[in-house]
Amino acid sequence: MAKVQQSAKRVAKKQSEIISMGTELCERMLSDLEKAKRPVLTATKCSLDNSQYSPKVGYLTPGNKKVSSELNVSSVKKMSRAIFMLEILLRNVEIANINTKRELYYVAKGLVKHETKLRPLDFQDQDESDSVIDFICEMMEAYREELNCVADDRGGQTYSKQLVVVETELDGTQSTIDLSTLGTAPYQPKNRPQNLTLRAKEKIDFCLIIESQGTANTLVANGFTKRHNSILIGAQGVPSNAVRAWVKRIQEQLRVPLFFFGDLDAYTMQNIYRTLRAGSAASLIRNSDFCAPEVKFLGVLPEDIAKYDLVDYPVKESDLQEARALKKARDALSNDPFFKDKRNKELRGILDWLVKNKRRCEQQSFISVDPRDPQMMEKIIIDKIKNGNYID
Amino acid sequence: MAKKQVKKVTKKLAAEVDASAEVISRVRKSAKQITTSSTAEYFAKNLQQVGFSSPVKAVLTTLKEALDNSLDACEDAGILPEIRLQVEKLGPGTLKNTDQIRIYVEDNGPGIDPDDVAKVFGEYLASSKFGRGRCSRGQQGIGISAATTWAMQTTATGARVVTKTKSARKAFTCVVDMDLKNNKGILRDKGTVEWSSPHGTSIEFKLDGRIQLNGEGGLLNYIRSTILLNPHMTLHYEISDVPSASVDRVVNTVPVVPQATEPHPHTMKLGEFMSHARLFGRMKTSVWLKRGFSRVTDKVLQDLVSQKGLKRKVLDSFVDSLPDDEFKALFSAIQAVDLLPPATTSVLSVGEDGLALSIRRIGDIDFFAVLSRKPVICDFKPLQVEVAIARLRERRGEDNEEQVQVLRFANRVPLQFDKASCAIVKAITSVNWRSYGLKQPKNGLPLGPYIVAVSVVSPFIKFKNASKETIDASDELVEELRRALMQTGQRLSRYLSREHKAGELEQRVQHIEQFGPILVETLGRILGASDERKQAATAGLARILEKDTKGIKKDLADAEGRLASYLEEKKSRLAGFFEGLDQDEQFTGTDAAAPAPVKPAAKSGKGKV
Repeated sequence: MAKVQQSAKRVAKKQSEIISMGTELCERMLSDLEKAKRPVLTATKCSLDNSQYSPKVGYLTPGNKKVSSELNVSSVKKMSRAIFMLEILLRNVEIANINTKRELYYVAKGLVKHETKLRPLDFQDQDESDSVIDFICEMMEAYREELNCVADDRGGQTYSKQLVVVETELDGTQSTIDLSTLGTAPYQPKNRPQNLTLRAKEKIDFCLIIESQGTANTLVANGFTKRHNSILIGAQGVPSNAVRAWVKRIQEQLRVPLFFFGDLDAYTMQNIYRTLRAGSAASLIRNSDFCAPEVKFLGVLPEDIAKYDLVDYPVKESDLQEARALKKARDALSNDPFFKDKRNKELRGILDWLVKNKRRCEQQSFISVDPRDPQMMEKIIIDKIKNGNYID
Repeated sequence: MAKKQVKKVTKKLAAEVDASAEVISRVRKSAKQITTSSTAEYFAKNLQQVGFSSPVKAVLTTLKEALDNSLDACEDAGILPEIRLQVEKLGPGTLKNTDQIRIYVEDNGPGIDPDDVAKVFGEYLASSKFGRGRCSRGQQGIGISAATTWAMQTTATGARVVTKTKSARKAFTCVVDMDLKNNKGILRDKGTVEWSSPHGTSIEFKLDGRIQLNGEGGLLNYIRSTILLNPHMTLHYEISDVPSASVDRVVNTVPVVPQATEPHPHTMKLGEFMSHARLFGRMKTSVWLKRGFSRVTDKVLQDLVSQKGLKRKVLDSFVDSLPDDEFKALFSAIQAVDLLPPATTSVLSVGEDGLALSIRRIGDIDFFAVLSRKPVICDFKPLQVEVAIARLRERRGEDNEEQVQVLRFANRVPLQFDKASCAIVKAITSVNWRSYGLKQPKNGLPLGPYIVAVSVVSPFIKFKNASKETIDASDELVEELRRALMQTGQRLSRYLSREHKAGELEQRVQHIEQFGPILVETLGRILGASDERKQAATAGLARILEKDTKGIKKDLADAEGRLASYLEEKKSRLAGFFEGLDQDEQFTGTDAAAPAPVKPAAKSGKGKV
């Protein structure tokens, strides 16, 4: 209970911080303009060339590089849009209102259409308003969620017979969800998992994060969570902020071993697993709260192909997406500080194997090992966990 | 029993002999059925090969052949052409989905001797130009005879001809029919009539076809193209329901079609080489080589002996008694010896002045760029490329994303079909027009309200088909065309660069006016700032953004300077064109100085192309 109150307090403090940061920024801009001085907005450069990785920290952190945006004829539109959107966000923070990115797009569009003077600001599509929101976050070095702006809930469907979640809403109301009462239905973590407190009814042995939501669902339908004291999460591809923060929450509050199970291909290794474990270059400023450095890579591992006689196949280089993933993997081997770190040489080895052999193997290939046994995948996963057949 | 068997065998043998006899008789019969056909019969059955593949093309091809003949005849006689043409619907045609069309073309050419009328209009391959190596429009003598054939096939009427030479008192008139069996023209209804013109020819066809006015294969496009490349022509035309119009000539000199040069030995095959010798009768081989070919000099003859091992006696022998093996040795040696490339004097161009003057007749234009490349040797044939690009004011509009209109010409004849595989289109799409300021999709034609006219002139144009609709895209030709297009593009870019800079400046100013107040107003609202603060910020913002427009203003001044110096250079290059213009018609590429639309011709004043 004490923990819950602490968490709610932290959010409240942040909200007042956000408001004062926003008004300070506007004050600085207005007084610069009064002096006919160009306002300059500075933000942390969020890119791989400004990323640092230390195994002690466990995730990608920003370097010293900054990007500056000076007001001029070319940037006046971008800045006008940013200040216009900032006004909406600050008002939301002030009244504790939360909007999705899509809602904000329509709110902004509606105001612009309604007021003739604002027409030049009009957003053609949601991408435009999303990038303005991202720009504001980078400028203020704040999370989008701290500006009360969330993405649509996606991924992170969670199954467990032991996990209990306590959610504290913005007004302080608390709800308790016992996941064992949901049957085979999943619990969907919210976009602000920071408001959640976790508790185990019984000892939980491990948490398994599965790349494919469908596969997680199949395992649960076949009784995985009944037979094993565990938490099962479907990541649904590249993990959203909510999934990343949710896994971090599990890591911090439950201290259980975390495993990731996904395809053996370059895209999964870099875009899904690396993001879940160490964050991404695009989100350098928020990786500290949006990744779980203790997640281990359970597979599919290259040696699993021979060991379990898995069906693998060559990567089609004529496929634009696959060719791009391979190119990105080559770049990662030489530029990504996460894969360059010697502590991660085994993960680097997998990436190297994928680039050299140009083959891939799906997570679902475990099913094909014995198609007549619906528990085949579960058996292999448990076998791998028990035998330590994963990469730390 | 033996007798019976013998009888049986004999009967069988007799049957086999009968069968063989029947086979032999059938073979003999079929051998008798192998016949020869006349050229006329061949073309009569294959009119699609010479441009009569559809009712629409039949009308256009007939008009084109008649007009080409008139223009060639006038130029050969040194007469400035004045052409009248009419195309009208008479009623339903005999073929499905066709109309009966009357096509009438009248010129002020030298007229045709009555004895030659049957040959000119009723005989295939009867031509005064075949293989002469000149840049005339017509070459083989097929087109107008094919039109007569089409008229006969579809309406059972030939071509009505009226012609008068300078020396004749009255004009000769007749109807030309064709004797397809013998490839001969037959004249009917012969007579004489009074004709006001001192000389000239008119031809009238009634045939089945369909009139298509607009689009690439339309009659108006053909007229527009013909006007562009013939600045010395006056044209009066009445086409279907389009208001009749006249377009006056803008050049008062008749283009002189250069005489053909002698053939170049490297362009010949052995058989041609030997046949060429027979035209010269009895003369020494060395003399024949020097007289019968271009680029063969005494030095070349020496090289043949000293470097290529040809026996001296071959050159000293008479060419008509040269044995085949010595001919072959001579041919091989001359192919191996170094020769200057063929001369380029046989090509004829319209010229930049002529193009510039003529381009104003095809529409209301903003600005234009013209270019005549120097004649070059391409695929071992002399060739010249000319390009004219103009922006049409009438089609301007911000969202005009249509492809440019391409006008293609071969020896001044418009090409209107089978665009995609033509060397000209391949060259246009291979140029990066974006660098000259035009929009262009990848590997496509550029977009916008432009006309891109490209003319290829050569005595030996390689067409892809007998109907001369497409120029074969050899690498060398496409490269030459590319260069011409790029040079013209550079000239055009002077105008567009200035326009783009002006547009950019306008956009920036608009930007400031639009976003400045919003930015200040929103900041003021968030902070609850006073009106004084907001006013001070607005003034400060204006000062900041004013500084930003300085750079673009300088760029615009530079672009204007470049355009001005280009216009100066253009004025000296196109002196003939600028001489006749008013001060406000200087084609500076700005709306303020744009020329007035082309005036309709005084004669009819009803319209323009």
